[in-house]
Amino acid sequence: MLVPLPTEKWNDETAAHLLNRGAFGGTPGEIEAARKKGLAAVVRELVDVNTDAANVPPPAWAHPRNIRAQRMEIKAAKDQGQNFQEKAREVRMMESENILDLRRWWLERMMTGPAPLLEKMTLFWHGHFATSVQKVKDAYWMWLQNDTLRHNALGNFATLVKKISRDPAMMIYLDLQQNRKEHPNENWARELMELFTVGIGNYSEQDIRESARAFTGYRIDMTTQQFRFAPMQQDRRPKNFMDRTGALNGDEIIDILVNKPACAQFIGRKLWRFFVEDEPSPQMVDAIASSIRAHNYEMRPVLREIFSSAEFYSDHVMRTQIKSPIQYLIQTSKLLETQLPSPIVAQNAMRQMDQILFAPPNVKGWDGGKAWISTSTLLFRYNFASYLINGDAMSPANAPQHRQGADLGFRRPAQLAEQTRRDPIDINKIIPAELREKPRDLVNLLSARLFQARPPEKETSAFVQYLEARKPDTGDETMRGLVHLMMSTPQFQLA
Amino acid sequence: MKTTLQTRRQFLRTSMLGAAATWTLPVFLEKTFFALDAMAADALTQTVTGKDGTILVVLQMAGGNDGLNMVVPYADDTYHRARPRLGFAADKILKIDNCLGLNPKLTGSKALFDEGHVAIVQGVGYPNPNRSHFRSTEIWQTASDADRNISDGWLGRYFDNCCAGADPTVGVAIGGETPQAFAAKTRTGVTFSRPEQFRWRTSEPNKGRMSAEEMFFRQLNESGASEESAITAAGGASIGAIPGKAKSDLSTMDFLQRTALDAQLSSDKILAIARKYKSTVPYPQSRLAASLNIIARMIAGGLPTRVYYASQGGFDTHANQLNTHERLMGEYNDAVTAFVADLKQQGNFERVLLMTFSEFGRRVAENANGGTDHGAAAPMFVLGGAVKPGLFGKYPSLVDLDHGDLKFNTDFRSVYGTVLDRWLKAPSEKVLGRKFPALAIV
Repeated sequence: MLVPLPTEKWNDETAAHLLNRGAFGGTPGEIEAARKKGLAAVVRELVDVNTDAANVPPPAWAHPRNIRAQRMEIKAAKDQGQNFQEKAREVRMMESENILDLRRWWLERMMTGPAPLLEKMTLFWHGHFATSVQKVKDAYWMWLQNDTLRHNALGNFATLVKKISRDPAMMIYLDLQQNRKEHPNENWARELMELFTVGIGNYSEQDIRESARAFTGYRIDMTTQQFRFAPMQQDRRPKNFMDRTGALNGDEIIDILVNKPACAQFIGRKLWRFFVEDEPSPQMVDAIASSIRAHNYEMRPVLREIFSSAEFYSDHVMRTQIKSPIQYLIQTSKLLETQLPSPIVAQNAMRQMDQILFAPPNVKGWDGGKAWISTSTLLFRYNFASYLINGDAMSPANAPQHRQGADLGFRRPAQLAEQTRRDPIDINKIIPAELREKPRDLVNLLSARLFQARPPEKETSAFVQYLEARKPDTGDETMRGLVHLMMSTPQFQLA
Repeated sequence: MKTTLQTRRQFLRTSMLGAAATWTLPVFLEKTFFALDAMAADALTQTVTGKDGTILVVLQMAGGNDGLNMVVPYADDTYHRARPRLGFAADKILKIDNCLGLNPKLTGSKALFDEGHVAIVQGVGYPNPNRSHFRSTEIWQTASDADRNISDGWLGRYFDNCCAGADPTVGVAIGGETPQAFAAKTRTGVTFSRPEQFRWRTSEPNKGRMSAEEMFFRQLNESGASEESAITAAGGASIGAIPGKAKSDLSTMDFLQRTALDAQLSSDKILAIARKYKSTVPYPQSRLAASLNIIARMIAGGLPTRVYYASQGGFDTHANQLNTHERLMGEYNDAVTAFVADLKQQGNFERVLLMTFSEFGRRVAENANGGTDHGAAAPMFVLGGAVKPGLFGKYPSLVDLDHGDLKFNTDFRSVYGTVLDRWLKAPSEKVLGRKFPALAIV
């Protein structure tokens, strides 16, 4: 059982921690406001958000098209030996522009939207039901999946899995639409058990074969881009699945899986790793799993319990999580009181830091934790910080390189230069004029903002010495240099 | 602490750490310092680095290289019938025997083949071939079965299993992003397009001296090594060389600090080598040539790297293949020829083995647009001073096809396995999950 956090432990530090994990971090102002509101009120604001009210209009291009007609057109041109390439290229370019825009759209929702936890849970499920545009190749389908994840992110897990089994992007990604009565494709059935519900070791190869037959008849209508059920294609013969026999269908398979204790353990462990700590103890996993079962897989009460628990605020949890690249991007922009970088820079940064939205590396999603950090990604973070602070003038080499990839579009260097331009931040927003001459006070103030904590004395004094060494220069350049120095540290990678 | 100084490397490592211990030892080093020897003994294979070791260069041909027009079955009528526009006439190609010849652009490769430095493995693929770029690339990068999903890369598993304690530069990928082949439990390996990019850049304009910002950055990220000692360290091990296995026992902060130190040391080393070693052999103008040039300089400078990774893109030739593929073959040929000449001049050709791969070959029959669609089996080139030359495997039948594609007869993991066992001296079973039949290529 999770123990509630005693009221007297609610302070700036715990408030900052809740905003770091339950949202994408807070500025000193937001942390203070949260502290004043009290734990219960902040948790309510985060968790009890209405998923419909939190909806903003989809991107303008996000509507279904008649894909079949489009493909037939290209194929006909190809078969007749005509130049189909121009047309195919047009489609590719459009898709790559749309997915770039979709990434911008989601990042902006995380940054300024009214429901940061909803976005964070949507990100959690995106990593859980990992699906990549690299295979799906259609931005509308990726948006549609994102929308499904968001609407169900805080709701019931079993419902979400059933929706995902009918989600066109997932159906393409795991070949579910190729699952035929005569030729079952087991890709979806296997991952449903291994990665989405009970985890490895809790099912047999026979369970995979039998359940693949239960998911027959799932189709995508290529003229409307929507899910379609084809009853004639359904395998109605009896199946032996786990301890059940019968003409089971897909939804019944999902219900059986979700009712297994292993499923609550599996989801609970993953949830705890995402929000709390990398290596949860078996006791913690048991605690969260029983909470999930007690709440019948409703996510809202489970999250409420996590964020209100003393365990969530324990010393070995606070400030020990390595920021995911998405968290890094959003939180840094917030902390610097600035805008997100341009879409193309953000996309390139996600790529370099190894977390591109809508393109997880494989069906397992992102490992997270220490896997975010290698010598290359750490150096990139340090240098990217400079770009975010100083803009493009100072670090032209940070600009994305021109790539021939479908993902980065087909831009000319001049266009690219225009789209990677960035002004230095307004340093006065984070550094009061009167502190420029007081190194130690200034470093303490910035530490509270950037680290939400005081770093060890050794580091603090290095920052102070930097300011001393730059004296008498206390201009903007020196101030930005200090911020960059503070962000080029292990400390800054933690939330 | 069990200390039996058996190898030069072990000696260097111990003394380096001994030396390091006399500085003010960072906390996270103290924790791992004494575990070091036990760890080294545990490691399955002694990681050989620097001047002593063999080196693997992996060259990815991204997009699906047309193997049929790289190694051409010129004597087969089926070939000419299937490719009325794209087929090479017998008098155009560089014949290696009565049946096969190389693409006309592969003059340097042909010369190298005649010298006895090239092994061509024919008909390489895997069961149930997947014709999606994304998925098939993933299969090659992770060395998984076609119906399994694995996240770790095959080289990543090699680093994990056989290079515990190695310098982070044990794997170096040239390019914008780390290949999935490097993905590992313990993230090792560095990635950069240009050496100058693999460094921390100060906010201050460059005034030709170390800025205050950089000075304190170094202090904060725990680097005390000068460029000179960084280079010396490259011969054996650096103080960055703390066993990776200890990682999970370390706190997140310790881990971050160590990675920061690793990054700083690797960056110093790479930059120092890039500044010091230039090639005298001329390289052509292409991205691949630039990548191989960087690799040659890193080898010359003694970076303790076991695996380099470079890639060449643009092989997805669905239309008007003739010119595109010719240009790509030319680029490949010229870049590799310069690279080989460079290595020979350095005296390192015997230590280096270059292996090409592509996610799939292309369909036997050309399409209506003068191109070819996604196929299956294709040849791999393995070349180097110590390679056993010749043709390996069997050229796939052009008649007995799988949905219009060549059937494989050699699993790509046989090539990987052979390279692991015989070249990198690493137990392939541990890395690939099972034993694949070895080939006599090394």
